[in-house]
Amino acid sequence: MDLVIWILIGIAALIVIVFFSYFNRFATLGNRIDNSLSQIDVQLKRRADLIPNLIETVKGYVKHENAAIKAVTDARKALVSAKGIVERVKANRKVESALKTIFAIAENYPNLKANENFLELQRELTTTEDKIAYARQYYNDSILSYNNLCKTFPGTFFAGLYGKKAKEYLQITESERKNVKVEF
Amino acid sequence: MPERIHFDDQISRNKWKSFFLISIVFIVIVVLGYVISFAFSPDYFFSIMILSIIISIIYVLISYYNSDKIALASVGAKEAKRETHKQYYDVVEALTIASGLPMPTLYIMDSNQINAFASGRNPEHSVICITEGALDKLDRRELEGVLAHELGHVGSYDIRYMTLVAVMVGMIAIMSEIFLRSLRFRSSNEDRRGSIFVILGLVLAILAPIVVYLVQMAISRKREYVADASSVKFTRYPPGLIGALKKIKNENQTEKKIPKAVAPLFFANPFQELASTHPAIEKRIQALERM
Repeated sequence: MDLVIWILIGIAALIVIVFFSYFNRFATLGNRIDNSLSQIDVQLKRRADLIPNLIETVKGYVKHENAAIKAVTDARKALVSAKGIVERVKANRKVESALKTIFAIAENYPNLKANENFLELQRELTTTEDKIAYARQYYNDSILSYNNLCKTFPGTFFAGLYGKKAKEYLQITESERKNVKVEF
Repeated sequence: MPERIHFDDQISRNKWKSFFLISIVFIVIVVLGYVISFAFSPDYFFSIMILSIIISIIYVLISYYNSDKIALASVGAKEAKRETHKQYYDVVEALTIASGLPMPTLYIMDSNQINAFASGRNPEHSVICITEGALDKLDRRELEGVLAHELGHVGSYDIRYMTLVAVMVGMIAIMSEIFLRSLRFRSSNEDRRGSIFVILGLVLAILAPIVVYLVQMAISRKREYVADASSVKFTRYPPGLIGALKKIKNENQTEKKIPKAVAPLFFANPFQELASTHPAIEKRIQALERM
């Protein structure tokens, strides 16, 4: 008799542990997604902060390229004011291509290319570009593990129970992935 | 890929193996004390046993918490400054974002070889050390591949097990190499006083290769393939790592400054004549090209 009670208690404890552990797994993975999202924002902001300095440096050397400079400033404005991660990533794409034009123009100005400050900014911008790409990759990886948990058994059962739904990926197109590999 | 290796399994396996290793080292030292007490003076049995247990505990604790520092010291590594090694910091920072791992402390070692290793007891207390040669000769993407490989070791807790094996078991070999190196600088006048050193050196010289062999046996080379795969998982760019491996194959010369016991920690085999410690570079390249 005693034995049966102990076995029942054991089974009950096991069930409670399983419920808790699944709750925690959802919480951990959810946190990881939030963290990686804020990491993307941190890097986007870093990039937005670097651009005014770059423009100042470039203006000192480059004349008659107002259109290209204006494109960067406008793209940056759009990035800063964009709402929501999807909008911001889209705006970032414009910044990226505008910056590319600037760096291509810089090739024609040896004095600018030799400027210590410019080189430093170029290095920093390349690094932030890398970091943005990696942050997005990690964000999508985190969503993948989260969705796997949501969509496979017995995760589906617990997802329903705790009201968790599969989340959307950040779309990265093929051409964009190539843009990321800027070498200098 | 012959079998899929699950990351979580690998972490718990490494933790268990580390625990096992520590227990074995602890027992070996205590048994050694037991044998010594019988051989010399059975009268002092208890005091010798207590002493050996204390020594054993101290040895295990010191090597557990300082294994990374011992490994770094044995190759003469120095901490890398952010101001002087910008690209090194940039690349590792970007990779910590890609992998979700905490930032390791960065070190450099003075060597012309392209090589690197990671160490530490967990990802929060991890270090990465790279050679000057690697920073000079590799381009940004190749450097990224190598450093991502090392972060792979960090994330899988390979660092804990590998460093513990190299330091705890390899201690005798590391000491013997440092000892032999110091002997070379001795002047011949000190020969008489040195006779005890000669005996000590002889004992160490006999024990060292056995110890190195044990270290090599304990660290399976499968880990390198897994870390290569992790590297690609972080960078999504196999050509970077492949490029680095090709440069290593063509340019690396044997490095004498690295103790043999810590050699298995490295990205590529530091010694050309010791073939068994690392998988052949060609095989690693082949595996990467299939990804």
